[in-house]
Amino acid sequence: MMQIECQNISFQYPHTDIRVFQQLNCRIDDAGFHALFGPSGLGKTTLARMMAHEIGGYSGQILSDSSKKILYTHNMERLPGWASIGDIILSSIPVSDAERMQMLTDAFGMRPCMNARFRRLSLGQKNRANLIRYLLQDFDMLIMDESLANVDETTRGRIIITLKTLFAEKTFLYISHNMLEVARFCKDIIVLRSPDRLPQVQTLQGQDIMDAESFSMPAVEQTMLEIVHAS
Amino acid sequence: MNRNIKIVGILGLAGYILLASVHGYCADTVTYRLKWLFNASVAGDLYADARGVFARHGLQVSVKEGSPEHDAIKELELGYAQFGAASADQIIRAVSMESPIVVIAQLFQKNPLQWVYRSAKLTIQSPVDFKGKTIGVTYGGNDETILRALMAKFGLARDSVNLYSVRYDYTPFYEGKVDLWPVYINAQGVIIRQKLATAGEKTAFFSPEAFGIRFVANSVITSRKLLKENPDMVNRFRQALIEGWQEAMAPENTEKTITVLRQFDKDTPEATAREQLTETRPLVQPGSPKDVGQINVTAWKQTEDIMLNQKLISGPVHVTRILKGNLKTD
Amino acid sequence: MLHKRLQQFVLVYAAGVLSLILMKYLLHLSDYVIPGPLEIWRTALSVFVRYLRNVADTLWIAVVGHLISILLAFAIGIAGRRASWIGSLIHAAAYNIQAYPMVAVAPIIFILLGDGIIARLLIAVMICYFPLLLSVISILSEPVDSVEHFYEATGRMNWRLQMRIRAYENIHKLTTVIVGSATMAMVGTIVAEFVAADAGIGYSIRIALYQSDLSKILAALFLIGISTSLYLTALEWLGNVIQRKCQA
Repeated sequence: MMQIECQNISFQYPHTDIRVFQQLNCRIDDAGFHALFGPSGLGKTTLARMMAHEIGGYSGQILSDSSKKILYTHNMERLPGWASIGDIILSSIPVSDAERMQMLTDAFGMRPCMNARFRRLSLGQKNRANLIRYLLQDFDMLIMDESLANVDETTRGRIIITLKTLFAEKTFLYISHNMLEVARFCKDIIVLRSPDRLPQVQTLQGQDIMDAESFSMPAVEQTMLEIVHAS
Repeated sequence: MNRNIKIVGILGLAGYILLASVHGYCADTVTYRLKWLFNASVAGDLYADARGVFARHGLQVSVKEGSPEHDAIKELELGYAQFGAASADQIIRAVSMESPIVVIAQLFQKNPLQWVYRSAKLTIQSPVDFKGKTIGVTYGGNDETILRALMAKFGLARDSVNLYSVRYDYTPFYEGKVDLWPVYINAQGVIIRQKLATAGEKTAFFSPEAFGIRFVANSVITSRKLLKENPDMVNRFRQALIEGWQEAMAPENTEKTITVLRQFDKDTPEATAREQLTETRPLVQPGSPKDVGQINVTAWKQTEDIMLNQKLISGPVHVTRILKGNLKTD
Repeated sequence: MLHKRLQQFVLVYAAGVLSLILMKYLLHLSDYVIPGPLEIWRTALSVFVRYLRNVADTLWIAVVGHLISILLAFAIGIAGRRASWIGSLIHAAAYNIQAYPMVAVAPIIFILLGDGIIARLLIAVMICYFPLLLSVISILSEPVDSVEHFYEATGRMNWRLQMRIRAYENIHKLTTVIVGSATMAMVGTIVAEFVAADAGIGYSIRIALYQSDLSKILAALFLIGISTSLYLTALEWLGNVIQRKCQA
């Protein structure tokens, strides 16, 4: 099971006076679909990339099992354009995973696009194609930085439910500005605040629903209210 | 109003005086564009400048180095220079194209262009011995014209010799790829001779002039207009230049001439410069100092004939009409 | 494309010749300094076939030299793209050498290699290669994060893939650089011929210069302009075909 804990993280961008984190503490203890929520510009991407070991230079420590694989993906990523997205994805997975790929492309509604080049896709399709290839990789935790930002709300909900079903044993950290979505689908919600407000992080419980159709709206509204208070 | 008129008047007068003085000063300030780089071939020109001969004749001359890229005739027409040095073929070609120039002195009484060869390897007693040899030639240069004239005179077919295109790098000659290499005997000729002598090889020079090819080399030119409008200045310039060359060629002035040469040409070793000067003397002054600057009408006519025969000019230019100096005939 | 480029060249050329002729009549210059229009035309006709052969000779040296430069620039550029000491060394060396006037080195090359094809080719390559190398290094060393991130994060990145991504993403820039360097190859070859070779249009210009024959020089410049335009157009066409294929 993937566990990750940030202890007393302090950070400021190199050669600037901009303080991003001040004694930040947060943790994720178990698998599931978690969220990192907060206003723009507070350092969600920076924290996510620190967790994925893509950024260093901070004080404090991020504790995780070194054998566990953490991947970070964002919505601006592109697939190479010299072949169809189907071929590009196939070239980055073992042959044995071709069947899983088919399943995911069906689940994400991407089957008709698999022969197209990346640049021919809509923004939403691009997000989904990119996510599919990450999901086919060997990972324990996948940090999705607005990875579905351009996908319509219904499809997004369906995809999140699919992820939670097919990858129940994996850990996801979902970065989104959509409060309703975060409140409905996520388990732990890490709310990131300005470094002037300590503690800089508050962790709340989301509704973690498994069915996009049946959920308690008052409970979701209650969670949303808590998020607003925590922000 | 009156005051304004006075101010304008004073300013106008001041301007006129200034312009007049500048004009007066410029009248005797001239530019002289040489044919080639500073070396012994222009010793007299440099001497006249550095030893105050021009100044003695009331002239302030800016002597400018020449090169293949600088054409004195064009500079004369464009007004960048008032006097220049050019080869006879250049001058005749320009006159055939209506260039308004005149020749006021002939610097070389004998053309310095000769062909160097290894005397141990070859015996060249006449151009007939050229047969089957590889001869260096600068295509488009006057050495090509001279060689072709020589071959025509001695009935050598074009394919009886191998022509080799040359530049400034003598390696093909040193390597023995080329049998005869064109040089100015008083410039590169000395350098090649010294180099081969160091390697224990003897050299000899073939002179086209010895076989009747009279092809005039560097001469001094000015514009027809300047000669007409300011004959006095042109005469003073010619006189100063001739005196400069006479003094530079005088054996008793050797040290002075070498000092002047070293002042302008710091790259050539002194020993080489001395030898070059020695080779220059008989070319400029084959007999007495009176020879310096003389325009050899016969040689000029022959030069024109050669160019006509080789179709380098489309028709006769009657070259004698532009020769305006101390003329002589053989 | 060809039509437009040729039209542009002919316009610039005609403007140049016209201004020369205008200068001739305004300053009352003789035919020796600037030949008259009839003389220019007559000379152009008389040297046309010979100069065309010379230009073809120059062009093929330039094309081969350009091709060698491209291959070398990509080979060394790939090696030099890394932020290693070798990369820094290559970059610094290329930067310094390209700032060096190759024309000054040309005579040494001719002394060492003679005045045959090899010397001309080498000078063409040297003049064209170093600026090309610098551009290639700078293009290939610029990461394309949005594409490369996945491969870096999943440990699938290797140098071939990295080069493929960067070349593909910058295909337009690379094409422009290659087309631009073609002019350098042509200039390099002509300079080499001018300095010391015994063939090619640069050599013909030198002879015309010896003879103070501006008409011949103008004829040579016209043919150089036309042949360079043709070569650049061919390269642009090839670049467009590649780009269209990439974007299919």
